[in-house]
Order: sequence, then structure tokens, then C-alpha cells
Amino acid sequence: MCSAQPSRTNPLNNSAADIDTGRATFRIYCAPCHGIGAAGGSGPDLTLGVYEVGDSDEDLFEVIQDGVNGTEMSGFGERMNDNTIWRILAYVRSVARRDAPVLTGDVTRGESIYQEKGGCAGCHRIAGTGGRLGPNLSRIGRTLSFARLQEALVEPSKNIAKGFDTITVVERDGEAVRGRQMSIDNFSVQLMDSREEIHSYLRDEVRSVEQEPKSLMPSYEGMLSGSEIDDVLAYLVSLRGDQ
Amino acid sequence: MRGGVIVLLGLLSAATAFAGDVTNQMLLDAQGDAESWLTYGRNYSGWRYSELDEINTRTVKRLAPSWVFQTGVSGRLQTTPLVSDGVMYVTGHNNHAWALDLLTGRELWHYSKKPVKEAQGCCARPNRGFAILGDTLYKVNFGATLVALDAKTGDVLWEKVVADYKEGYSATAAPLIVKNMVLVGIAGAEFGTRDFLDAYDAKTGDRVWRFWTVPGPGEPGHETWGGDSWKRGGGSTWITGTYDPELNLIYWGTGNPGPDMNGDVRPGDNLYTCSVVALDADTGTLKWHFQFTPHDVHDWDAVADPVLVDLDVEGEKRKALIQANRNGHFYVLDRTTGEFLLARAYTEVTWADGIDAKGRPILIPGKDPTEEGNVACPGLGGGHNWHPTAYSPQTGLYYFDSVDGCHIYYRTTQGYIKGQWYQASTVGGVPDEPATGSIVALDPATGETKWRYEMVSSPSSGLLATAGGLVFGGDPQGYVTAFDAQTGKVLWKFQSGGSVAAAPITYRFRGKQYVTVAAGEAIMTFALMD
Ligand code: HEC
Ligand code: HEC
Repeated sequence: MCSAQPSRTNPLNNSAADIDTGRATFRIYCAPCHGIGAAGGSGPDLTLGVYEVGDSDEDLFEVIQDGVNGTEMSGFGERMNDNTIWRILAYVRSVARRDAPVLTGDVTRGESIYQEKGGCAGCHRIAGTGGRLGPNLSRIGRTLSFARLQEALVEPSKNIAKGFDTITVVERDGEAVRGRQMSIDNFSVQLMDSREEIHSYLRDEVRSVEQEPKSLMPSYEGMLSGSEIDDVLAYLVSLRGDQ
Repeated sequence: MRGGVIVLLGLLSAATAFAGDVTNQMLLDAQGDAESWLTYGRNYSGWRYSELDEINTRTVKRLAPSWVFQTGVSGRLQTTPLVSDGVMYVTGHNNHAWALDLLTGRELWHYSKKPVKEAQGCCARPNRGFAILGDTLYKVNFGATLVALDAKTGDVLWEKVVADYKEGYSATAAPLIVKNMVLVGIAGAEFGTRDFLDAYDAKTGDRVWRFWTVPGPGEPGHETWGGDSWKRGGGSTWITGTYDPELNLIYWGTGNPGPDMNGDVRPGDNLYTCSVVALDADTGTLKWHFQFTPHDVHDWDAVADPVLVDLDVEGEKRKALIQANRNGHFYVLDRTTGEFLLARAYTEVTWADGIDAKGRPILIPGKDPTEEGNVACPGLGGGHNWHPTAYSPQTGLYYFDSVDGCHIYYRTTQGYIKGQWYQASTVGGVPDEPATGSIVALDPATGETKWRYEMVSSPSSGLLATAGGLVFGGDPQGYVTAFDAQTGKVLWKFQSGGSVAAAPITYRFRGKQYVTVAAGEAIMTFALMD
């Protein structure tokens, strides 16, 4: 008996109709994270033609079916039948550009800018060390497209990461506490302040509550030079959760 | 502008310890900390007793829900919530966990990890809670791993493999922090695993020691296993133990030998199954052991809380360890030496005619499982199973629940296949004799029952005792109940709408006393109405 199972390939013939159906399904289920054209959003850019999970049909089928444990990428196997997944894959294949951005920055320099000049570690954690006001960046190189990483540095308020909205509560005595909104409802607010202390307020016990459409993260445009930003980007792209 | 952004934003350095960090000293002093619930049994002795008395026998009638958190994850919660620095931490089935705001019950973060498909266990995929040290939470995941989470965000710091789930191992117990180590118990005895208790370094997750509950070749106790039966000997450690810092001993209960119901394949006493083991905290070496049910064939795990109390036993002051064992007897041991002090049946027992002076049951012949089935009492789950118990120094009484009934025990012969059920049979109910249950309050110095609250069906919840003269519990039909700790009279009840399978906790927050209990899939918090 032959022991190794041959790797499964897409049994559909990737016809225009398959791609079209796959595209329509992608827009419903996947676009909220991967972007309407699959070029990335809060989830990775799927148009690069190379994938972290592997490039075979089977690798991609499995990640769509089972998801990536411990990340936003949940499995769709229980909601979709095999052919629906294969059609989505046909669509993903059809938009692959195979023109990954050329990284000009230097990872080592980027890391030291991250730690020192940029002060990024004060707000972000990597592999268990750093601050908590911003998202954990341990595998950010897997999750965000290059364009989104770039945007995060120069225009942080354009797309605010889920769970990291900014909120200011003015207490009765006039003291303003600004921080990361952890939860909000019609009667209460929970936030993490810049010292990473968690506060819980009943809204009728404070003077005001203001949600801001502005990131707690400063823009680094002008604060870091163009080449320093390239270095930081190279470092961010290298963060793949295996530190 | 080195570090300029940091200074600008007034942030602290990442290395700073926060005010809310839990220290070893705080764990040692946990009993005096009314604002928190820092470890599974509330204190290292496993008392589940609180000095808070705002909610008491007079005021309890004003107790009302203040918030409910619906987890949305199916499975009757078994978690003992932890409370620290204004936040509550709870774990659920299928590797879910949450941090909740104490004031409102709102979710601060949610951790989840899809369980590995192949991981199996005897009974769904529950979890009994977190341990906390510093700003790190520790829990087991069902597929026999230990995971460390950042308490502020729920981020995973590391996850370590405790055992191979493909062999039938699984993990459900709340870890216990002792001296910067995380103690982790394991389950799997229904699958013919050989079980153990592990200690891991709290910072790195590296294993510090392992104590095999079934001794290997050359180790004392190995001779109590015929042939190579020790390899599949069971002895799970699926409920959290206790710790005596003065004696530097850890106490942990162990489960049934494998296969459960056919003892012929494992002749001998089968140490250290159905036992309590006392281990040196630093090294995990065995200081003493006491076996409640030698060569068990009824699945009478001895995992129930090994509670540490100082007692006057027959005129002598004793540092004691007490346990309401699944085999139907309540036991008192000397926790320094393991000496047997007394035992007394707390429910109907038909398999033994008492316990001899050494602590060995005096067997009544003909009570073992047979091919056709043979009745014995108590049933497979006990007596008292694993549900958390409570000891009140105020009343001096020990509180636990008991299933009162019998089972028909069947046995069969069965070969071992790795990763497959290896129970060698099953039990059935006795026709027309459904098991009932009770909550029992007894004097631990004598084993004498002081009161008994009779229930219509088998009980399911753990208990909490408070200085308000109350004992809190729940039942499978959904009632959360407060009893008069002296008399067992029901002073308050609330229909939660969810079967209660967890133990209540209590704490003070912003000057007010709260009681929290997991009921069904929800976490419910109660306080006195103003
Ligand atoms: C809620 C957000 C979200 C949704 C919805 C989502 N994804 Fe993902 N996806 C992610 C994230 C985040 C990752 C990266 C996971 C990681 O960290 O490894 C990912 C990873 C992937 C990968 C692996 C990429 C690689 O380089 O290895 C593929 C392929 C993928 N998703 C396809 C899909 C498809 C197809 C759908 C719709 C059926 C979908 N995703 C829906 C968030 C999402
Ligand atoms: C004052 C705190 C703070 C500092 C300093 C800071 N960030 Fe952020 N960062 C945040 C917050 C808050 C967010 C989430 C809101 C948002 O998306 O802008 C964020 C978001 C991000 C994201 C997007 C993450 C995602 O999942 O969408 C990246 C990438 C990032 N930061 C990188 C950096 C780097 C690199 C530096 C240093 C050059 C840095 N940050 C400095 C607070 C900070």
C-alpha cells in the first residue's frame, strides 16, 4: 500500500463561473477582514500568491476549513461545504499578483528603533514583554498587509484595531482619564488608562464620557525619517509569532 | 529623542510591577483578603470560607442579582472564579476563558482555543478555574496543556504540553500556585493512562518536578501492581489539592486505578490510586500516603478536596487533613505523618463493615462488580464526588454534598488499546431506586452528622461558608441556595435558570459584599438590595 496520501488539489476546474461564485462568497464571509479585493484589512493580504500556511491547494483549503487557532481567523468548515470552499479558493488564486513588496529596511535597525527611539514597546507587547495599550504585535507580520502596516505608522487613526478604541472619561472632580476602551454600554464604561490600570465607571457617576475616533498611537510621520520607517516596517513584517 | 515618545505620553516602563500583582505572600495570606479570591479553595487549606458577614442570616433575604454574564458557550460551568484587583477571571468548557468587570459583569477580554478534535475525556470538556501569580493567569487546556495568559489582556504568554492527549490524557483542574511553581493535575484513568502531578516554573513554564501516582519499577509501591499493569494504572489528579506552608507539604487526591471495574488484571493494592499523597513542595518527593480504597473496583476516586484543619481528636490536638471520600466514608488523617485517625460513613455503605484501626476497609465479600451486575452502595460517583466543600471555623462544621444511592456495577474483560476507553464495563441505576442526595454538615473531629439537607436528586454544586452564618450552594434544577450554617434551614433561594455545577465565591468590592456563582452557562453575581 502506498503510505503518503497525495496532496488534495482543487477538484473544480476554476471556471469563470466558479471564480465568480467564489468571489461573491468571499465578499460576504472574508472581505470584512481580508478586504473587499482580498488585499488585506485586519487580516492578511491574500493577493501575494505566497501564504504563511503553505501554498498548496490543500494547505489553503485546510486553513479556510479549520482556521488558525488563537487568532481572528476562525474555521468555516462548519458553515460551508467543500465545494463552496474550493470556489473561494479559485477566486483567491485568481487575484494572486505575486508582486510582494520589496522590503528595503533593515530588521535589526528596525528592532532597535522599535525598542528605543520609537518607544513602541511602551504600548505594544511582543512575546510577553512590553505595554498593553496597543495590540500585541507578536504575529503582526502574518496578520496585516504591508500597506496596512505602513498606514498604522503614519496614519494610525485611519483604521483603528478592534478592541483598541480611544475613550475619555471626565470624573466628577474634573479629572480626565483617557485610555483604551475595553467595554462600553448604555450605563457603564471600562477602560485601561496609560498606566494600564483598568477602570470601571457607571455613566451617571461621571461628568462625561467621550469616544474619540482617534488612535492612542501617535503618527510617526515626521517623528521618524523615511528610512527609519522602512526599518521599522521590515521589523514588523518579520514578526510571525515564532519569537 | 531616545524614548521621547514614552516620556511624552507619560507611560511607565514595561518592566514595572503593578499594584494589582498577586504575590506569593498574598497567596499565603489569602484568607485575610476580603477583596479577593485568589486561589481555587480560597486559602491553601481549601476552606472556601470567608469572614465577610454583611450578607448574614438576618440580611440574606434581601439578596438579589446584580449582574449576569452569559458566556454563550454550551456546557454547565464548573469554574471557581478568581477575583483580583477589581476583575473576575472565569474559565469555561472547550478552552474558553473571560475577564469580567466586577462592577458590571461586562467582558474585558475573552480567550479561546479550539480543542484538538482527538482529545477525549470521560465527561465533556469542562474546566474548573484559573490560578494567578504576578500579572499572569494559568489554566489547563483540555488537550492536556498548561497555558499562561496575561491577566490584563488575555494574551497567551506560553503554552506547554503536559501530556500527550493521543494516549487519552486530558486536563480540567484549576492549577495551584505554590512557591513560584504551577501545580497541574491530569485526567485520563478511564483510558488506561499512567497519571501524575506536575510542577512548572511560573515564569518559564519549564517543568520542575513530576510525581507519578503509579510508581515505576524500582520505586516503593511498585510491588502493589501485578505484571505490567502499572503502565495503565490510572491514578488521575483531576481536582486541585492543598498546601501546608509550615510543613512544606502539598496534599493531592488521586483517582481510580485502570481499568476501573476489572481488578483481576491488576492484582495488588494499586498504590497510589484512590489515595491522598503528601509531597515535599520543593522536590515533589513522597512524604507519606494514605490509601482509602485499596484495589478499588468501583471507580471511587479520592480526588475530593483534602481540607486542612486543626482539630481536637479524642482529646489530642492534631494538624488534620479531612476528606469526604467517594467510597462513602468521611476520614480524618494526621497531616504531618499520614496516620489514620478516624473514619465514619456519611451515607449508605454496603461494601464495607467499617474501617479498621489502620484505616483499611473491612470488606464485605461479594460486593465486587460481576458480568451480570452486582449492587453496591454508594454508586459510582460516590457518596461525595469532587464538588468543592467548605469548612467554617465559625461553626466548626464541614460541609459537602453527597449522592445517596447505589449502582449496579458490571464488569467485563477488555484489552487495552492506546487512546481508547479502558473502563472494563459500566454501571446502571437500580430499578425503582433513583439516587437522591443531600448536603451534609458534620463535626470533623468526630465525623458525626450535625444536619442534613435532603434533596430530590443527586446534588451538583460546590459550597461556600461565610462568617454571616451561611452556607451557599446550588442544585441541578437551577436554585442557588443559602442555608443557615448551624441548622441547614434554607434562608434564601433564587431560581437561576441554569443547573448549578460550580461552587459560589464571595468578595467585597467598593465596600459591598457580593456572592458569585456559575449557573448553567452563566456567571451570576448577587448583593443585598439597598
Ligand atoms: C474575523 C477576521 C477574518 C475573517 C472573517 C476571515 N479571516 Fe482569514 N485570516 C484572518 C487573520 C487574522 C489571519 C492570520 C492568522 C494568523 O495570525 O496566522 C487569516 C489568515 C487567513 C489565511 C492564511 C494566510 C496565510 O498567509 O497563511 C487564509 C488563506 C485566509 N485567512 C482565508 C480566509 C477566507 C477564505 C475567509 C472567508 C471564508 C477568511 N479568511 C475569513 C482573519 C479573518
Ligand atoms: C501610546 C501608545 C502607542 C505607541 C507609543 C505606539 N503604538 Fe502602535 N498602536 C497603539 C494603539 C492604541 C493601537 C491600536 C489603535 C490603532 O489601530 O491605531 C496601535 C496600533 C498599531 C498597529 C496596528 C495593529 C493592528 O492590529 O491593527 C501597529 C502595526 C503598531 N501600532 C505599531 C507600532 C509601532 C511600530 C510603534 C513604534 C514605532 C508603535 N506602534 C507605537 C498604541 C501605540
